Amino acid sequence: MLRMIALLLLTVAALAGAAVAQKAQQPFFPYPMRVEKLKNGMTVVRVPFRSPGLVAYYTVVRVGSRNEVEPLHTGFAHFFEHVMFKGTKRFPEGTRDKLLASLGFNDNAYTEDDFTLYHSFGPSSGLQQLVEVEADRFRNLSYSEETFQTEAKAVLGEYHKSAANPELKIEEELARTAFERHTYRHTTLGFYEDIKRMPQYYSYSLEFFHRWYAPDNAMLFVVGDFDDAKLMQWVRENYGPWKGTSARMRIPSEPRQQGEREAKIEWPTPTLPRLIHAWHTPGSTLEDLNSAIQSVLGAYLVGPTSPLYKELVLDKHLAESIGTRFYDHRDPHLFALQATLSDEQSRERVEVAFEAAVQQLLDADVDAKRVADIKSNLRYARPMSLETAEQVAEQLAVHAGVYGAPNALELHYRDLVKVQPGDLVAFARRHLVPRNRTTLALTAKELPQAQEGKPKT
Amino acid sequence: MTRSPRAETRCAIGWGLLFALAGCAHRAPLDEPSEPPEGPTELAKHSQGKGQMEIIPARPLHRPKPMQTVVLPDATKPIVSFRLVFKSGSIDDPKRKEGLAALTATIMGEGGTKELSSSQLLQALFPIAGEISVQTDKELTVFAGRVHKDNLDRFLKIFTDVLLEPRLDPKEFERLRTDAVNRIRNQLRGQDDETLGKVGLDALLYHEHPYRHFDGGTVEGLSAISLEDVRAHARRVFTQDRLAIGLAGPVDAQLEKRVKDRLSALPSTGAEPVHLPPVPAVKGRTLILEKDVISTAISIGCAYGLRRGDPDYYAVAFALSFLGEHRQFQGVLFRELRERRGLNYGDYAYPEHFIQEGGTTLTATNISRSQQDFSLWLRPVEPANAVFTTRGALYFLDQLIKNGIPRDTFDVVRGFLTGYTRQWDQTDQRRLGYAIDELFYGTPNFLEAFRLAMARMTPEDVRQAVRRHLSPARLNFVFVAKDVTELASALASEAPSPISYPSPKPPDVLQVDKEIASFPLPIEAGSIEVIDSQAFMQK
Repeated sequence: MLRMIALLLLTVAALAGAAVAQKAQQPFFPYPMRVEKLKNGMTVVRVPFRSPGLVAYYTVVRVGSRNEVEPLHTGFAHFFEHVMFKGTKRFPEGTRDKLLASLGFNDNAYTEDDFTLYHSFGPSSGLQQLVEVEADRFRNLSYSEETFQTEAKAVLGEYHKSAANPELKIEEELARTAFERHTYRHTTLGFYEDIKRMPQYYSYSLEFFHRWYAPDNAMLFVVGDFDDAKLMQWVRENYGPWKGTSARMRIPSEPRQQGEREAKIEWPTPTLPRLIHAWHTPGSTLEDLNSAIQSVLGAYLVGPTSPLYKELVLDKHLAESIGTRFYDHRDPHLFALQATLSDEQSRERVEVAFEAAVQQLLDADVDAKRVADIKSNLRYARPMSLETAEQVAEQLAVHAGVYGAPNALELHYRDLVKVQPGDLVAFARRHLVPRNRTTLALTAKELPQAQEGKPKT
Repeated sequence: MTRSPRAETRCAIGWGLLFALAGCAHRAPLDEPSEPPEGPTELAKHSQGKGQMEIIPARPLHRPKPMQTVVLPDATKPIVSFRLVFKSGSIDDPKRKEGLAALTATIMGEGGTKELSSSQLLQALFPIAGEISVQTDKELTVFAGRVHKDNLDRFLKIFTDVLLEPRLDPKEFERLRTDAVNRIRNQLRGQDDETLGKVGLDALLYHEHPYRHFDGGTVEGLSAISLEDVRAHARRVFTQDRLAIGLAGPVDAQLEKRVKDRLSALPSTGAEPVHLPPVPAVKGRTLILEKDVISTAISIGCAYGLRRGDPDYYAVAFALSFLGEHRQFQGVLFRELRERRGLNYGDYAYPEHFIQEGGTTLTATNISRSQQDFSLWLRPVEPANAVFTTRGALYFLDQLIKNGIPRDTFDVVRGFLTGYTRQWDQTDQRRLGYAIDELFYGTPNFLEAFRLAMARMTPEDVRQAVRRHLSPARLNFVFVAKDVTELASALASEAPSPISYPSPKPPDVLQVDKEIASFPLPIEAGSIEVIDSQAFMQK
C-alpha cells in the first residue's frame, strides 16, 4: 500500500511567510526578482525584463517520473502532462489552444524526472487571459475517457519517434542497471510496455491529478514586460481559489551500491560505439556544494580544455566526442563520463584513460588553474544563457523544480563560485570509486562493406 | 533525464540518377535577381495528372555589396555578437567532392589558427566563454561568434584569424572528415529517421540540381576531398565580395571599422558564383528508405516558385500556419491526425525549407535559398497506419485548397502570427540573422512586413494564393520504413486503407475517415523506388 500523507506547507528558505513580497538586487542573478507566496501555498515569482510587449509565463509542478512509485505506471507523469491540455468545462478541448493561439502565444510543456514544466511566451497584451486559462486548467481540468485514450496513442508515438536513436535505449539501460529500488530506475517516458498499457488508467489519472496538482506543489514564474500590480491581482483572483495540498509519498531509497555493475547494449543498426562510466552521487540541495562540485567536475574531467579531451578526441581521435552526464536531481542520482568511440577497438584505451583521470583526482593531483578557468567560463557564460525572457524564466523554473526554492538559480550560481580544487578530490574519494560504478557499453552492428552504397533493386 | 515535450523534372527517370552526381551547376557572371512569375506559376499550369515534368524557373538571390555591414548597437548589453555570412554553401561543392563546403567551414571553425592549434584555440576561448560556431546550408555559410565585452579584443583576434589564418592541420582535417562521414553513416542513416526522411525528400525534389545532396556531403564525396581541396575552396569562396557582416550588442563605429579592416585581408573575390539551373520537378515520385524500425517516418513536399518577397508568400505562409505551424497545437494536421485520431506525435506544414534552430521551435536564420519548397512533415506512425496518415494529410491539404480557411479560424491564425513573429528575433544572433536574410531576399524589415501583411490579409487573398501554389497532385513522398514490400504495394494499389482505433471516436471523425481511406494518392506507381537506408547518401 502506498503511504499517503498530506504534505506540509512547502518550506521555502527565501520566504518569510505567506504573502510576503521581497525585492532585492541579486548579486549572482542580474535581474530584480519579486517573490510572493499565496495563501493557498502557491509561489509566484516575477522578474521585470526588457522584452518589449512580450512576457514569458512558466509554471513548474514538482511531479515527474520520480513520483511514479506504483508498478506498471511508469511514464505517467509525462503522459499526464499531455492530459493537462485536454480542457476544462469553461475551455473545452481545443478551445484553450485556439484562444492562446489567437493571442499569439507559443505554448508547450515538458516533463523531467523531478518536475513538469508548462510554458507560454507571447504578447503582454494577452497576459490577463493567459492567467485565466492557465489557472482554470490547474483548478478544473476535465476530460473524457475517450480523449484520454486517444492521447495515450500520441504518447506511444512520442516513444516511437525517439526509439530510432540509441540515446533512449542507453538511458533506459543505464537507469535499469544503476538503480534497483528508486524510481529513477525508469526514464521519464517510462517502460514501453507500461506506455502501451496507459489507455487503461483513466481513473488512476484522476487520482494522479488530485495527488500532485495542488497549489503548494506549483511555482509560477513570470518574466518580461508586464505591470506587476495588475498581474498579481489577476493571479490572486484566478489562482487564489485553487484548493488542496499535494500528497506526500515515500520514494524508495536506493541502497548503497556494493560492487561494479555492467550494462551492455547491442544496437541493431550501424552507429558509433558508446562507453559510459557512471557513479551514484548525492542529490541536489541548497545545503551543500555537491551539485556545484559535480558541475565543475564534469568540465574538469572531460570538458573541452581537459587533458582527456585533448588526448582522446583531438590528438588520438579514439573518440568522436566525450562529455559528462550529470543533471541536477532531487534525490541521489548519477554522475557519468561518456564517450562516443571512433570504433570498437578504441574502447579499452578510452576506459583506461577515464580511469587514469579519475585516479589522478583520487591521488589529489588537481590542476588549480583549470578549476579557476572553469569558474571563469561559468561566470562569462551566465549572461549568454540569460539573453531572453524565455531563457530567464526557464532557468529559474527548472532550478526551482529540482531544489524547491524560487531563488535556487541564484543560489546555485553562488555555490559554483565556492567550489575549490580540494572539493573535487574529496568528492571523488567519496563517490568515484569502483564499487559505486556502472559501466555501460553499446556496441553497434558492423556494416558489411559490400552492403554500403549498393542500391536495392 | 528525458525531456519529453508534448509536443521535435522531367518524366520519371530511373532511380539510379539519384545516385548520380549533381552535375547541373553552371558558372555564370554575377547573378541578378529575377522577378517572381506573374499569375499562376508554371507548376500551377501543369498541376493535373501524375508523373508530369514541370519546370520551376531559376531566380537567384540578391547579392549584398562586398562586406556590407548590419549593425544593431545596444550599449546596455554585456555580450557582443558577430555574424559573418558568406554567399557560399553546398551548391559550391565540386562534382564528386560533395561535402567540401561544410567540411571547409568546420575545419576553419574548429581546427585552429596559425597562432593556435585546435587545442590551444579551445584553451584560449574557454576561460572567456567565447563562442565560435559555423553553419553551412545550400547557398550560405555562417561564422557566428559571441563574447563578453570584457574579452572583446582577445576574441576578435581569434575570431578573425579563423577566417584569415586557418591552421588547416592535416590531423585535424582527417579527424573532422572522419566525423563528417560518421555523421552520414551513423547519425543520419542509423539513428535519426526523421532527418533521414527530410534529406531523402531533398534528393527527390532536386534530383538534377545542386541542392540534391545533403549539405554535409556524401560518403564518397567526403572521402575524395584532400586538404589542398579545402585550402583552395576557402580561398575561392570566403571572399570579401561574398561576405555580409553583422554586429550587435555593445558595438560602435570604431568596432565596425576594426572588423572591416581585419576582414579586408580576405581575397576581394574568388570563384564565379554558381548559376543555379531551373528545377525540373516530377510529380508523384516516391522513395522508400528501408530500415529496421518500429515506426514509419514520412516526409512529403514539392519544390515551388514561391519565396519571401513574392506577393503570394505571406498568404501561403498564412495558409500553412493554419494547416500545421511547426510544433504548435492549433494546426489542422496536428489537431486532426494527432489530437483527434492519436496517429502520431505531431504533423506540420512549411511554406519554405525548414531547419529548426536548436533549443527552439523556430526556423534557423541564414538558410536563404533561391529555390524554395513546400513540405508536410508527419512524425513517425505505426506501420499499419502509414498509408492512412499520408492520405489524411493530403485530405486536409485538399480541404484547405477547396474551402479556404473558416472566418473564425482565420482570425485565430492572424492573431497567432502577429504575436508569434515577434518572438522570432529575441536574441542578437537571430536579429542579425533576419537582417542579413533581408539582404539576400531583398525584403527590408521582413518581420514588420510580415505583420503588416497579416493585418491586411483576407480569406480571399489566402484562397487564391493557395490555389495558385499548392496541390496534392504535385507532391513527392519519402518513407523510412521496415516492411517496404507491403508499403510499396499499398501505395501503388490505390485500394482504400481503412483504419481501426483502439478507443471510440466521434461520428464526424469516422465519417471523414471514410473519405480519407480512399483519398486518391498522387503517387506514380512506376516511380516508387526502394533503397536500403545504408546505401543512401553514399555518392
